[in-house]
Amino acid sequence: MNTQTLPPKPKVSIWKKIKRALIVLIIIAIYVWTFVGIEIEWDRALERISRNFGVVIPKLLSPDWSQLGKVSASMLETIFIAFAGTFMAAILALPLGFLAAQNMSGSKFIAGIGKWILSAIRAFPNLILAILFVVAVGVNAFAGVLAIAIGSIGMLGKLYSEVVESIDMKIVEAMEATGANKIQILFYGYLPQIIPEFLSYAIYRFEIDIRASSILGLVGAGGIGTMILFAANNREWNEMGLILLAIIIVVTVIDFFSARIRRKIV
Amino acid sequence: MIEFKNVGLVYPNGTEGLKNINVKINDGEFVVIVGLSGAGKSTFIRSINRLVTPTSGTLLVDNEDILQYRGKKLRELRTKIGMIFQNYNLVKRSNVLKNVLAGRLGHTGTLRSIFGMYKKEDIALAYESLKRVNIADKIYNRADELSGGQQQRVSIARVLTQKPSYILADEPVASLDPPTSHQVMTYLKKINKEDNITTIVNLHFIDMAMEYADRIIGMRAGEIVFDGPASEVNEKTFEQIYGRTIREDDLRGEAEKVEQP
Ligand SMILES: Nc1ncnc2c1ncn2[C@@H]1O[C@H](COP(=O)(O)OP(=O)(O)OP(=O)(O)O)[C@@H](O)[C@H]1O
Ligand SMILES: [Mg+2]
Repeated sequence: MNTQTLPPKPKVSIWKKIKRALIVLIIIAIYVWTFVGIEIEWDRALERISRNFGVVIPKLLSPDWSQLGKVSASMLETIFIAFAGTFMAAILALPLGFLAAQNMSGSKFIAGIGKWILSAIRAFPNLILAILFVVAVGVNAFAGVLAIAIGSIGMLGKLYSEVVESIDMKIVEAMEATGANKIQILFYGYLPQIIPEFLSYAIYRFEIDIRASSILGLVGAGGIGTMILFAANNREWNEMGLILLAIIIVVTVIDFFSARIRRKIV
Repeated sequence: MIEFKNVGLVYPNGTEGLKNINVKINDGEFVVIVGLSGAGKSTFIRSINRLVTPTSGTLLVDNEDILQYRGKKLRELRTKIGMIFQNYNLVKRSNVLKNVLAGRLGHTGTLRSIFGMYKKEDIALAYESLKRVNIADKIYNRADELSGGQQQRVSIARVLTQKPSYILADEPVASLDPPTSHQVMTYLKKINKEDNITTIVNLHFIDMAMEYADRIIGMRAGEIVFDGPASEVNEKTFEQIYGRTIREDDLRGEAEKVEQP
């Protein structure tokens, strides 16, 4: 005979069950309310969707190769904007990252200020930053670079500070015990612990920024987004198809290499 | 020679780590410090290379009071004292050679070390040190690819590369299994004898203390409560040092088979 028994099921209290049921009910209620509220004219919407889909989708799927040169140049600009922006952020985030790390700034208060600055920066969406910089420096790619840079500092600074806070001080102590001086300790004790992770995060952020910078052009901050805007306004769906294809290829390739490089360095 | 004269240490929070310590450690001795957790073993050992600074008394190393040392003097002191830690404290992402060469930092110019331009002799010395602890085949492996025992041997090689006159080891085998513990202690003992390096080891396993030490110092609550040759020590002595009966977990146990170095 088989005498194996299963472990008892975890006990769920009545209260928890009621809570769960309530949450489900509330969510359903919100959905119903929303859909009733927006008064969609379902028949018209459906008709338009089916009509447009019939026209747009086939065109998207047959890209206009004659635009290849223009699209490539624009895509390249997008990549450069992302690269320059991330690069700037990766460097500017260094002091902020150290400031926000409690074990470096030496005081909870200063680290708190650093963390607060970083979250304040993170609160701005990239597009808003791009609009601000277009106003400030004009309709060009430099506005895009600045928008990407500022947008990335918040996240990189926060991740840097976490890396710095996780430094193993025992290794630093072991270096001190060999009679190494401060600069040697920096190079042999601190940097090997933080550089690979800093780099890895910067590369990861570059991945994100490629995607972010492809829409910056919508507000005039350079890159392929400008072409998206024109193509959409002019209903050039064949051209749009090529643009989307370019973005998909570039993002995929960069994600692939970024993942490999990051696995190597950490 | 290391000499403690009325050395006391009070931590900033008021804890007395050391109380009026008077002891002399002669050149070439292999001393094991034993005592319960919190007895002050680490504080004692870390005073010698000034990772902590005693707050009273004089502490002589080679007849100079090291308690006043700062800056360059302090670094010079540290270059002649190698230290081994419980958790090896290697840079995990660096390879074994780079970790071992870190032992040369105190003897290498800042610029040279930043660019990794070690002298040929230093690299040869690092390789030689790795061979002595039988781990030369891992020279280009990353430190985190090694087992605990192997990492501890690398950290011994790092200390050897430092060419110290003293070796301090703070619980070097506490994270290792019995056979590996014996292996590591055997290497330390061998180096002590061959190079005549004064060695001070903190241990809390009494059987290991008796097996490897020339001399045993017992500590309790920041004070030295026993000091004598290992040959004079038995379980009774340990019961006095610990202030309680000896238990199973005070013993490391026999190594079934110890790889002979
Ligand atoms: N940095 C510190 N600040 C305050 N008190 C400390 C500090 N380091 C150690 N102490 C205290 O000093 C006493 C001696 O500690 P020490 O670490 O020297 O003991 P130990 O014998 O090495 O113990 P263990 O076997 O647990 O390592 C303990 O009471 C400990 O709590
Ligand atoms: Mg200790």
